[in-house]
Amino acid sequence: MTPMLTLGVSEYALPASVLAPYLFVSAAMFAIGLIGFLTRKNLIIMFLCTELMFQAAGLALIAFGRHHLGEDGQTFVIFVLCVAAAEAAMALALVVLLFRRRETLSAEAWKELKG
Amino acid sequence: METLISPIILYTFCVLGAAGLSLALPRRGSKLVPIGMILLGSAFAMVAVSFAWRASEPLTGGAGPGLFFYLFAAIALGASIRVITHPRPVYSALYFIMTIIASCGMYVLLGAEFVAFALVIIYAGAILITYLFVIMLATQAPTGTEDDMLDDTDAVAREPVVGSIVGFVLMGLISIMLLGGIETGKPGSIKPGDPGFQPDAVLASLPVKVDKVLRRANLIDADERVLRTEGGGGVFDAAARTITIEHTELGTTRVIGADNWPEELSAGNLDRLGWNLLHDHPMTIEIAGIILLMAMLGATVLARKHVELEDSLKAEQAKRLSGAQPRPSGGGAS
Repeated sequence: MTPMLTLGVSEYALPASVLAPYLFVSAAMFAIGLIGFLTRKNLIIMFLCTELMFQAAGLALIAFGRHHLGEDGQTFVIFVLCVAAAEAAMALALVVLLFRRRETLSAEAWKELKG
Repeated sequence: METLISPIILYTFCVLGAAGLSLALPRRGSKLVPIGMILLGSAFAMVAVSFAWRASEPLTGGAGPGLFFYLFAAIALGASIRVITHPRPVYSALYFIMTIIASCGMYVLLGAEFVAFALVIIYAGAILITYLFVIMLATQAPTGTEDDMLDDTDAVAREPVVGSIVGFVLMGLISIMLLGGIETGKPGSIKPGDPGFQPDAVLASLPVKVDKVLRRANLIDADERVLRTEGGGGVFDAAARTITIEHTELGTTRVIGADNWPEELSAGNLDRLGWNLLHDHPMTIEIAGIILLMAMLGATVLARKHVELEDSLKAEQAKRLSGAQPRPSGGGAS
């Protein structure tokens, strides 16, 4: 066993056999987030699921960044973090607004919005 | 070309996972949730065993992701499944914090310490707390017994079967694309010893840090420092491991060679990430700042509440405020 993953040592690029499980976890987390977004009715849970998908994308970015031994992936994850924070603020403001109008968090209360 | 996971295992995983998740999603009075969880758990366990077995083959050089990865991955995926299957929103948000912390564990394993800790602080500490506040503010007061405390919004999922099938078809496609594109047994694209691989090269741009480390190791005197180039960097050769030192008063130079190289002189994750963020992508910070400012303004405008007041009420309020203002302070005058 090569000392590939002792903690904090970032001087070795990940070989493909180590990269693959990370990508699989990322794909699975993305799919779970998508399923949650499609099936849950609560607006807040739907926004939580988009955050889950952000997480999955971030994991893939960092794993690939380690595969190529660069820091660009981490920089992009920090940017994604900013976008997620902004999105959370806007989304929750919207949720509060919608809740005041209909007194429910159900996405189905806004059925008439469909085209 | 042999792939890293056999397609049969991947497709079985997708079928089992879709079946399990469609059973585990919340339904009114459903007794099938534990069965769904068992199906999902066995699907993920099958893939984990497959990866571990593939990693032990000589083809891959015996490099596996390690025990900690499996632990963190299990926590992250289990908690994220609970996020979408738990009928109560507050518990979903708490499970999401667990997902974040487990994926931060994976980030640390990948050598991205700064992002991991920033994620714990910003996501688990700030964003999720905001979510919890909104969940608690925007939920109707519970009425009745425990069982019908949840209304249909939370207790019944919309189209669980179709949603699960669509999600796991997507999952299979993403996995095939991602895992089919990387070759089995291929080492990382850059290896230690490659001429292009110099993790410490960024230190040439940080002469003050190098000065500090050298001074702490008593390798330079008080009036010596790393020789600066015209651009402000230090004269520093990461490949040959030599540093050129200048005497600030006499102007003489000498070279510290690889023999005297202090052990703590190396660029960590924070040095390299900071250099990458501020030097290579400075525009990112500007754009992030504008996005955050706009989000703050937008959230304030969206969530503000209109307070309708009669004109007479407004006048009364104004009079009371102006009357309260110029009242002399009793203590000083008498």
